[in-house]
This record gives sequence, C-alpha cells and structure tokens, in this order.
Amino acid sequence: MKTIRHIRLDRWGALALALLITLAGPLYSPAAEAHGERAQQASLRMRTMHWFDTDIQPRKIAVNETIRVSGRFMPSKSWPEHIRSVEETAFLNIGVPGPAFVRVDSRVNGVAMIRSTRFHLGETYEYEVVLKGRAPGRYHVHPVISVEGAGPIIGPAFWVEVTGDQKDFQHTITTMTGETINPETYALSTILWWNALWFVIGIAWMAWWFRKLPVIMPRYIKVQDLGDDQANQLITIPDMIVSVLFVGFVMLVIAGGFFWANYKYPITAVLQTGKVEVEPLPMPPQKVEVEVNKATYRIPGRSFQVEMTVTNRGERPVQVGEFSAANIRFINAKMFDIKPQDEHDLVASSGLRVESAPIKPGETRTITIYADDALWETYRLVSLINEPDGRFAALLMFYDDQGTRYLNEIQGPMIPSFG
Amino acid sequence: MNTTTGAYGTGAAPDTAGPPTKSAVRNVQEQMAAWKNIDYTLIPIFSILIGGVTVFLIALTVGDWDYWQDWRDRRYWPLVTPFSLIIPAAIFNYFFWKRFRLPIGATAMILGYMFGVWVSRYMNFHVFANFPMNFVAPSTFIGMGILLDCTLALSRSFFVTGLVGAFLFAIVLYPLNWITMAPFHVPVEYNGYLVTVADLMGYQYIRTAIPEYVRIIEESTLRTFGEAVTPLTAFFAGFVTLLNYYLWVWIGSLLTQNRWLTRLI
Repeated sequence: MKTIRHIRLDRWGALALALLITLAGPLYSPAAEAHGERAQQASLRMRTMHWFDTDIQPRKIAVNETIRVSGRFMPSKSWPEHIRSVEETAFLNIGVPGPAFVRVDSRVNGVAMIRSTRFHLGETYEYEVVLKGRAPGRYHVHPVISVEGAGPIIGPAFWVEVTGDQKDFQHTITTMTGETINPETYALSTILWWNALWFVIGIAWMAWWFRKLPVIMPRYIKVQDLGDDQANQLITIPDMIVSVLFVGFVMLVIAGGFFWANYKYPITAVLQTGKVEVEPLPMPPQKVEVEVNKATYRIPGRSFQVEMTVTNRGERPVQVGEFSAANIRFINAKMFDIKPQDEHDLVASSGLRVESAPIKPGETRTITIYADDALWETYRLVSLINEPDGRFAALLMFYDDQGTRYLNEIQGPMIPSFG
Repeated sequence: MNTTTGAYGTGAAPDTAGPPTKSAVRNVQEQMAAWKNIDYTLIPIFSILIGGVTVFLIALTVGDWDYWQDWRDRRYWPLVTPFSLIIPAAIFNYFFWKRFRLPIGATAMILGYMFGVWVSRYMNFHVFANFPMNFVAPSTFIGMGILLDCTLALSRSFFVTGLVGAFLFAIVLYPLNWITMAPFHVPVEYNGYLVTVADLMGYQYIRTAIPEYVRIIEESTLRTFGEAVTPLTAFFAGFVTLLNYYLWVWIGSLLTQNRWLTRLI
C-alpha cells in the first residue's frame, strides 16, 4: 500500500508548492486596519490621555476635499512617573496609513501646531486638525498625541472614505519669494537630472578602468607577480592624467551646481524646529468632587465596578452619564441614547450602570457604578490584571438636569475578582 | 610552454599544442575569453553586493537623515553621512587597490548603493508609502567616491588618500547636494510661522511614526561661530572622516586576507 511517506515531490510538484506558498500570503492576508491601539498596555492607555468629544466630519469626501478631526483631551493626573511626561515634549499627530491625506492645519486651543509643544496634566485641551483627501481609500483616522521618549497615544477613530483619483489631487504652497509650487513634483526634475549626471560621471570613471576587458584576473595575477611595492606600476601615466582630469571635472561640477543653486534660490532658510507654548482651556469651578473608595474588576462578568464618594457642590442635582477609559465610552443608557457610529466606534451604549439616584446639591453620598461590556475583553483592558502596575484611571462625566457636563478624573488601584 | 604577452605581463598560459593538460583552457584566446567571463560575472555581482551592503549600512546608521528632505540639516546630516559612508568606501578602496591595483572601490560601492537606494526609495517610499518622490529622493554621493578614488590613484598611498581624499569626501557633501536641497530651503510663512518648504512638506505629508520632535536637526546655540554652522560642520566631518578612513582601511586589511577564503574552502 502506498503511504504518504512514499509520495515524492518532482520538480513540478516543488514548483507548484512554492507558488502556493508565495501566493497564499497575499491571498489570505486581511487588510491591516488598526494602528496597534490594543497592543499598548491597558494601564498606560488608561493613565496617559483621556480623549473625549472626538468627531470627524464629513466621513466621506472626494480627493481635494477636506475633513475636520476635532475633540478634546485631558492628560491624566495619574501619568506614570516612569513614562516620559507629556509635560516635556509632545506633538499633535494623526494616525493614518501614510500620506493618504495632507495636513492643512492643526491647532490646539487655537494655537497652530506645526511644531512640538507640551501639555499640562489634568488640564483640558481642544484640538482641531484639517486634512485634505489625497489618495482614495477607506481609512481609520485617529488623533494621536506623540510623546517624546514615550511613544504615540492613540485617540478614538472613525472611518473616512476618500473617493476619486489621486491623479486629480491638487496642492500648492506659496513661498515667501512669491513662487507658487506644487509640492508633489517640486524640484523633481532638478533632482533627476543631477542624479543622472552623477551616474554618468561615475560610470565614466568605472569605464576608464574597465575599458579593455579582461581586467580582474590579469590585474590580480600581475599584482601577485609584482608584489605590493612594484604593483604601483599598473597605474599608468594615462591613468594619472585621467585621474587629474576627473578631480578637476568633479570639483568643477560640484562648484557649478552649488553656485547655480545659490543663483536660482538666493533666499533660503535653515530647517526650523523648536517648541510652541499652548495654554490649557480655562477650567470651570469644580462643582462635583469624587473620591474613589474601591475599584474591582470581576473577570467572569467583564465588569468594572467603582465605589466612590461623591460630593455635589453645585446648585443642581447631578448624575453619572458616562465613564470613559482607554477610549472606550460606557454610557448610562438611562440618560443618553448614544450608538456606535461605525463598526469600530468604541461605545458601549448601555455599558454603564449607576445604582444611585441623582446626587442633590450639597449632598455627599457613596455610590457604585458598573462598567460592563465585552469591550473590556476585545480591547484587551482585562490585561490590567497581568501588568506590573495595576492601577486604573478614567474620566467620569456627571450631568445636571439641564445637561451641563462636569468632568472628573478618577484613579486608583484596581483589584481583580476571580469569582 | 607559451607565456602571455598582454598588457599584464607574464602570467602562465596553457599549451597550444602537445599532450592534453589538466587546464580547462587550451590557448591564450580561450584564457582571455574565460577571464572576460569572470569580469562579466563578477563586476555586476560586486556592484550589487557592495551596493546592497551599503544600503543596509546607511539605513542603519544614517537612516532618516537621508530619507527625508526635512532631515537634511546643517549640523548632523553632513557629519553622520560621510562618517558612515567612509566605512565601506575604505574597505572596498583597500580591497580593490591591494588585490587589483584598481582605484575604484569607493565609486563602485557608491554607484551600487545609489542604484539600490533609488530602487528602494521609488518602490518603498513613493510607490508603496505614497510620499512624493521629490521629498524622499536620496542624496548623491558619487562625486565623493570619485574624489577618494582619484586621490588614491594619484598618491598611491592610503595615508595621503585619508589625509586629502577622505577629507574632501566629507567636506564636499553639502555643496554637492545643495542643488537638490536649496529648493526645499526656500522660506514659507505658514499659520504665522517661518518654515522651509521641507519643514512644511514634513508637516503636511503625514508620517504618523515620525512626530516633529523626532527629527534630530540643528537647534540654536549660544556658542561662538553659531551662525557658521555649515563650514564648521564640514571641517569637523572631514577630520573625523579621515580618522575613520584609516581605521576602516586597517579593518579592511584584516577582513580581506586570503586566509579567510582558505578557511572557507
């Protein structure tokens, strides 16, 4: 009986197998859609940046049209000490796959963010980024705060579709010398002919030495025969004359290119860098005070439970409307009807359960909230129990009966519950 | 027994008559044809090999300074680039000179590198990552290689080649590439800031993994001669490059000894 051990691959079989393996990758591989937001440690996602009010409008544009990415963020007061702080150097960035858009403008609290800056912990900032569609496709667009020495902190994202053809993309820059340029092709012809010229010169130098083949073996044998001291006679007088000519020509071309560039571009500037300063948004008086008593994550139920003492120093009763941690929004469905806006919008529409009536003005009460949703699992926040620093931080949003919002960051140790 | 009488002297040639020998070639013509085939085979292999090695080396050591127009500053790019590029230049300089008395090592290496890096920038940065080609086009170094090789041909001395050629190798980098860089240093006023075209393109063409602060470029300084950055950097680059040349010629002399081959074979 023929068993599998008797099957041999002939050359066509081997070729077919190689082709199969080669093609299997591209045919099987799904599109890369995420930017690694799930890969970062859960506690760091929670304790670095609280993003809220994120919006992107419109969600479908043609090439050359613009979208506006906007929202707010609050650097966490619980920022880990061992992570380089956003208070040193940070940059408002955008998470997209390459330059599918060009960034027309970006601002934080109205300050243009072409350069790096710094942000203060516990303060609130409002950002806006205007992007112009360049390459057709469907993109998951994230705001990002990049922190020097720490890495990117990725904000919530929405899908944006760009239609049309990149060939129709139009973009110009007006320089201070009054020239309007197309950055897609600017100075490309100069780059190409300059490089081509140098390839020709370089090949000419090589051609001189290889003008009469064979070269390698005869010269190798000759060097062996003559010995190191005498082998220099292989460099002939014509070789030396050509070398002198090449030195002169090369220096002439370099100088010519340099002076031509100075003639054509008489006004230039050095690359610009340095930080800009941006002031945080003015903070309203803190009318709701919160103190966390205990936070527990019950693993079987994917339920995060926080017991806290809340004091309402305002004039109107307040209730918890939203709990936001690591870009996941847990909504109190009794107060708001908020649905995910696309398949990757991290909203748990009824994920927040508050076992308490609204807190009256002047009242201090201990309440417990429950943030329950499978998003804890799918976005790998449960890995908090495996991390060396089991602390959480989140943004709690209280609302009064007139819809006024009060932001409170809560933070503390997280205790897992296994039963 | 016949001997060759060509330009390269007295290498033993096979018999043209008489009993068969163990040689694969039977006469001078066949010998020359075989040697030409060696040239046709080895020259492209050498070019691709040493160019590929250099693409890898420069990617590791120079990297972003040469990838993007908005990284080519006056302080670091003209220093790091020749310092790294002189490494393969010195090794191949030594190898081709010592084995073949050919002053082509630096030029051959840089030609291979330039070919490889143009393919890489076009395919990886332009076609795949979709950056404008002008923003990611490589700098050219071919003139630097020729100057180094010419110095070796004229001086026939690694000492002089280091002192003059390696120094020239470093200091001409900036003027050699200024013609392709100057357009990107034209100033622009953007949202109330003075920037260059390169800065602005770096901002507009989004690089998620390269925030603005990642650029290691010149910053202002209180030091004397703070405004004469380019010539000072060029001379300093020339000095450290010539030292590095000597170091890597010495390392090249160790790496290209016949005993490594005999141990392999």
